[in-house]
Amino acid sequence: MIQLQLKVDPFPIVEPLVIRLRTRRPDPSEITNDHDAIMVSHCTETADYDVNGFSLRVHTRHPESLDGDVVLVVPRRGTLHRLIRASSNHNTLLVTEQCDQKCIMCSQPPKKYHADMFDQFLQAVTLAPKAATIGLSGGEPFLHKARLLEFLRKAQAVRPDIRFHILTNGQHFERTDEADLKSLNMASILWGVPIYAANSSIHDRIVAKEGAFEILERNFALLGKAGAILELRTVVLNSNIAELEELANYVTRRLSFAHVWAIMQLENIGYARMNWDAEFCDTSAEFDGIANAVDLSIGRGLRTKLYNFPLCTVPPAYREYCTLSISDWKQKFLPACHDCSLRSSCTGFFEWYPDNRGFIGIQTQ
Amino acid sequence: MKVWPLQFRKLDEGDILFSDDAGAFFRSSEEFLNRYVDNQLTDRDITFLRRGGHTFGEVGDPAFVGFASRWTQRINPAKPLSYVILVPTLRCNLTCDYCQVSRAAVNAKGFDWDDAKLAQVLALLGRQPATEIKIEFQGGEPLLRLDLLEAVRTFCRTKFAKSEFVICTNLQDVSEDAWHFLEAEDTYISTSFDGTSELHQTQRTKTTSTHEQFNANLDMALQRIGSDRVSALPTIDPSNPPEPTDVIGAFKSRGFGSIFLRRVNYQGFARKKYGLDSFHQEWTDYYRRFVRALITHNSTSEHFVEEYYLSHTLRRILQGEHHNHVDLRNPNWLGVDYLVVDFNGMLYPTDEARMVSRVGQIDLSIGSLSTGLDKEKISAFNQNASNFDDPDCMHCVYKAYCGLDLVDDLSRYGRVDIPRHLTQHCRSHIDLFDFAFELLYSDDPDVHKSIASWLQIPKYNQILAQRLS
Repeated sequence: MIQLQLKVDPFPIVEPLVIRLRTRRPDPSEITNDHDAIMVSHCTETADYDVNGFSLRVHTRHPESLDGDVVLVVPRRGTLHRLIRASSNHNTLLVTEQCDQKCIMCSQPPKKYHADMFDQFLQAVTLAPKAATIGLSGGEPFLHKARLLEFLRKAQAVRPDIRFHILTNGQHFERTDEADLKSLNMASILWGVPIYAANSSIHDRIVAKEGAFEILERNFALLGKAGAILELRTVVLNSNIAELEELANYVTRRLSFAHVWAIMQLENIGYARMNWDAEFCDTSAEFDGIANAVDLSIGRGLRTKLYNFPLCTVPPAYREYCTLSISDWKQKFLPACHDCSLRSSCTGFFEWYPDNRGFIGIQTQ
Repeated sequence: MKVWPLQFRKLDEGDILFSDDAGAFFRSSEEFLNRYVDNQLTDRDITFLRRGGHTFGEVGDPAFVGFASRWTQRINPAKPLSYVILVPTLRCNLTCDYCQVSRAAVNAKGFDWDDAKLAQVLALLGRQPATEIKIEFQGGEPLLRLDLLEAVRTFCRTKFAKSEFVICTNLQDVSEDAWHFLEAEDTYISTSFDGTSELHQTQRTKTTSTHEQFNANLDMALQRIGSDRVSALPTIDPSNPPEPTDVIGAFKSRGFGSIFLRRVNYQGFARKKYGLDSFHQEWTDYYRRFVRALITHNSTSEHFVEEYYLSHTLRRILQGEHHNHVDLRNPNWLGVDYLVVDFNGMLYPTDEARMVSRVGQIDLSIGSLSTGLDKEKISAFNQNASNFDDPDCMHCVYKAYCGLDLVDDLSRYGRVDIPRHLTQHCRSHIDLFDFAFELLYSDDPDVHKSIASWLQIPKYNQILAQRLS
C-alpha cells in the first residue's frame, strides 16, 4: 500500500503549509516558485528539504518517489499529507466529511465537524503537475457550495489546464445556481453523481434520506442544462441488483445526456464493512442482473463502465467494459492473481477486500 | 401528464410499430392505437409510456429534459467544413461499364488541376476553422496525380491538428512511389471490388491481364497496409447480382469484415433507358437475401461480417448521435460540413451532385474555387434539408432515424417537393427500416448474434425492442 501520510520532525510554523517537494534541483526551464522545497540531503530513514531557508526533515526511505508531490505539512501533528502525488492519476482532495446522506455502503462515513481547507487546496492545485485530474470528494462537497464554487472559479483561472472530478450527491443545487455553474469551464469538470435505483423508495432507503430521489431527478436535469459532463455512479448491492435493468432503462431514457454510467462493485470499508454480509452481491456467481443492464445501456448508446470488478468475475464478453478503477494506493492482488494472464489489465482488489467473504468465482485466467 | 406525439405503421403480422420524435419505439396492437387516438389510455398503458420516455408532466420537468436531450441527439448539428472530396484529375485508366460520365481518357488533356487550381484548393483548406479534416481523393483515378495528392497531404498535416486521407483508387497501376505514399498511418485506401472476381472482371477490368494486375495489387494493399486501412466496396447490378454467399466468401477470404453493398447508380442515358425505379423490387429482394446469408454465415463463424449500411441504420434506430454518414442524417446540410471540389474547380455539395451536373441534367454546383461558395444557392438547398416540416415525413414512424436526400430528388425528379413516398430515397429507406425492425423484433438467436456483432455490443437483448401487449 502506498503511504499517503509521512512523519515530519518539529517545524517552526503554526499554520498548515502547502509545498511541493523536489528531490532534485529543477531544470532552469521548469516553472518554480516559493513553494518548492528542494531536498538538500538524505540518509536511509530521512530526507531534509530546504523550505525558504528552514530545514524540514521528512521520514522516508524513498525520497525519489516524492519528487514533485504537493504536500500539506501540519506541524502540530508532526505529519505531512501527500495531497497531489505527481506519479499518480488518483489524487483526491477531501473537501469535507460532513454529509446529509448516510448511504448504506458509504466508504467514508460522515463526521460532524468541518475544517475549511479551500485556501490550502487552491495553493495545492496551483502547484499540481500539468494537465492533472484532481478529484474533489467528501462527505458532500456542496454542503460548502459558496466556498467550493469560489475555489473552482479561482483554480480554473490560475490553472486552466487542470481537470476536476467532483463527487457529489446532487442534493444541493438550486435553479439560482445555474448561472454560477455555467460560468465555470464545464468542459474540464466531470461530475460523478450516484443513483442507486430508478425508484424513490429504494434509492431513498439506500441513501437514508427521504425525498432524495425527487431532488436528484430535478438536479440531474439542472446539471444537464448547465452543460455538466456527468458520470452516473451506481454501486451494486443486494438491495438494488434486481432493479438494475430498470435503472438502465431510466438512465438511457431520462439521462441520455450523461457522459458515462459507472456500475461499481462494493468496497468493504466504512458502512459497507458493517453491511457487507447483507449487501455484497456476488456477481461472479450471478451476472445476469449486470448483463441485462449493460446490454440495454450499451445497446442504446450510453457509454457504460464496470468499476471494481476483477476480470475473472466477469464473463468474457463483458470484460472490455471493466476499467482500472481501484486507486493505486488502495489496490492489492490475491495469491490467485500471481500467475494470472489478465493481471496487467485487471483492476485487482481493494486493500480491505475480505478474502473469505468475497467472490466465489476468483480464478487464475 | 402528456404523451409526446406517436407516429405509427402497420407491420406484417398485424401489429403496429410506434415511435416518437426522439426515436424511442415499441410494438403494440390496433387496440392500443384506438385507445391512444380516443384518449382512453389505461393505467397500464400510461405506466408503459412513462417508462419508455414517451410522456412528461410539464415543460422543463425531468421527463421533459430527458426527452429534449434525446431529441437533440437525433439532430445533426451544422459543423464547420471537415470533410472534403477532391477530384485532382478526371482521367482514368479503366473503362467500367457504369462510369461513362465521370471519367476522361487516360491521356486526355485539360482534365487535371493546374498549379493555379492546386494553389486555390490549398487556400480554401487554409481558410477553414476546423481543427480536424478528412480528405477523400476521388477521380478519375487519383493515383495518376500522386504529386497533387502529396501537395495536399503535406499542407493538411501542418494546417490541421488531425487529418486523414482516403484515396479512392481502382488499384490498377500502383507505382512504388504510390505504395510508399499509401503506407502512411493517416492514409486509407478505398477501392471497388464487385463481389466476385468474375463479376469484377466483366464489369470493370475486362481483360485477364488487367484483372490479374488488380488482384495482385489488392493482395499487396492488404499485405502492406492491412485490412484496417483498406476497404473495398462492391457495386451491384440488381438485374444481374452475384450470389450472396459468393460475395461473402470472397470478402471474407481477403479478411474484410464489412461489405457496403451499393446498388449501381445509373445516370444520364442509362437512367432514361431503365426508368427511374428500375429493379426496385429486385434490389429489395436481393438485399434481404444478402443479409440473411450474412446471418447464416455469422451463426457459425468467429469472423463476423456486416453490411455497412444496415449496421449504420440499426445504430441510428437504437442510438442517437450517428451523423457521420451523409446519405442518412437529419438535417442533411448541403455545402456546410462537406464539400466536393471538381477537377475544373467547380464546387458541389455531394459527389452525386457533381455527376448529375456533369451529364448536363441540372446544375447543382454551389460555386467555384475562383468565385467562392454561392451562399444564396446553399441557403436555398438548406431550407429543405430537414424532414421536420416535410408534410409526408412528419407522419412517418421512421422520421427520427431517416433524413432527406435533396440531390437525389433533384437529379431524378428535377424538384424537391414531390410526395415523399414516390421518391426513390423514401421507398428504398422504408424498405430498409421495415427490414431492420423485422430483425430487431425477430426471435431467432442467429439474428440476435449478428445484430450484436454489427452493433458491437456484448449481446443483443430483446429488452431493446419493447412490446406493449
